[in-house]
Amino acid sequence: MKKLALFVLLAASPAFGQIGPEPTGQIGTLPASYPGHWVLLQDGAFFHMNNGKIIVVDADSDDPATRVKGMFDASFIAQMYQARTKSEIYIAETFYSRGTRGERTDVITIYDKVNLSPSGEVVIPPKRISGMPTYYHLQAVDNERLLLAYNFTPATSVSVVDIDSREFLGEIPIPGCSLIYPMAGRAFASLCTDGTMMSVQLDENGAQASSARTDVFFDANNDPLMEKAAMIDSVAYFPSFLGRVVPVDLSGDEPVVGDEWSLIGDEEGGWRPGGLAVTGTDAAGRMYVLMHPEGYEGSHKDPGVEVWVFDVGSRQRVDRIALDLPAISIGITQDDDPLLLATNINLEVDVYDVASGAHQRTLSGTGAQTPFLLHGGL
Amino acid sequence: MKWLDKWLDRSAESTARTIAQRTSRRGFLGKLAGVVAGGAASVPLLPVARAQDNPAPQEAGDPASCEYWRYCAIDGFLCGCCGGSMNSCPPGTEMSPITWIGTCTNPVDNRNYIISYNDCCGKSSCGNCLCQRNEGDRPVYNPRVANDLNWCLGTSNNSYHCSTAIVIGTALD
Repeated sequence: MKKLALFVLLAASPAFGQIGPEPTGQIGTLPASYPGHWVLLQDGAFFHMNNGKIIVVDADSDDPATRVKGMFDASFIAQMYQARTKSEIYIAETFYSRGTRGERTDVITIYDKVNLSPSGEVVIPPKRISGMPTYYHLQAVDNERLLLAYNFTPATSVSVVDIDSREFLGEIPIPGCSLIYPMAGRAFASLCTDGTMMSVQLDENGAQASSARTDVFFDANNDPLMEKAAMIDSVAYFPSFLGRVVPVDLSGDEPVVGDEWSLIGDEEGGWRPGGLAVTGTDAAGRMYVLMHPEGYEGSHKDPGVEVWVFDVGSRQRVDRIALDLPAISIGITQDDDPLLLATNINLEVDVYDVASGAHQRTLSGTGAQTPFLLHGGL
Repeated sequence: MKWLDKWLDRSAESTARTIAQRTSRRGFLGKLAGVVAGGAASVPLLPVARAQDNPAPQEAGDPASCEYWRYCAIDGFLCGCCGGSMNSCPPGTEMSPITWIGTCTNPVDNRNYIISYNDCCGKSSCGNCLCQRNEGDRPVYNPRVANDLNWCLGTSNNSYHCSTAIVIGTALD
């Protein structure tokens, strides 16, 4: 005991030059709004799907040790939605009571961006889609009061959650149609196998108030529209396999299909869009598309070697960024000086300065193994 | 395709077996071209062919290679690298009764076959022999030909382990 007392005494009164005692139990926090160049890497954990995660990274940092700001879990090919009006992130995820077996429970987990910890959850029907992530599996409408989760069993439907009251409101069948494209107000649209788009208006309780269908405007087999649209000012720009673009205006009560135009123009070389996350948008409303040359039947998910940037108003390509390494997914930060993020074929995330097109760094050592989607922090 | 090869190579990590598969693929393709050009008479001393007594083998090639003809629209881990085979599930898994299909050309008889890519389910990812080919694959709003979906549906749970490639018939031309 005497020795211990001496030790404590020495530890409590350090001599000059020694490290003083430090408090335990300190836990970091993050700002409620993330800096413009912080990014969220959505790791689908394809090799161990129950351990998916979202990693918050400072894409400006050249220091691998300190650029990781934190992470949170997202189980079983989860889907993510980052709120714009609140400091929250929503994850649609699945758990089994015995890991990979047992009773299935699907939840919307509400993460607080400051602590990266769950601040609430809403149990939803165990039907949510598990598939390669896209931005249109989980969306919000009604000024982000209603969160919509896409279900595929393979019957298709949408689960409606009131995020403010933290309750599941109900399920809306969308037979023959898929995915969730948010519309203005309290409505959503879905792409249908018959080449139409279905739209659903919701009432205050999240139930279906009415629905409508467009005329047929695409072919689900021949030069189909990619579901991976770029959304700019409530218009969804759908690239086709062969490089057409079909805009659909979702700002009104029903979808309005616009005139199609071409990504390719006069460019030679067999260029086509392709990849996992093929499109992106920036704060200025430009559209980014991951492109590969020498396209062929089945190349629509091949890695791209360039990112083409379009002004959707003039329908002109305004920039093309050559990638150092081919990429399977792209993402764009949402600040005024945007970065292009690209998951390269080594499954590391490359960072490019959009203004110059220069490769800035590679975000290695983040702990992400399969960063499928790249979100600019909000 | 060379970029895709790199992504798959990275995904499969560099086991000696994988390296052997990748480095032999070009050779395999060369042999395959010879088979197609030379017809049945010159059919080949490839592993599957050699294992059969039938003088006119119905298939040829390495079922552990992503380039194997049945895998033209596969997306996932080959069950043949996970304790099962190209048309059976590994022990202790459960085969999904519903699935997506592809239409693949068998280079031996030059016929198109309907391939059912039934997933094997109930365990975590196999992690071996990841393949992605997308001939005839279509977006998820056309689900019967969409391989981005987890097809472990109608099973006791939805954990995805690996994918088979089962011939269910010839395609109507």
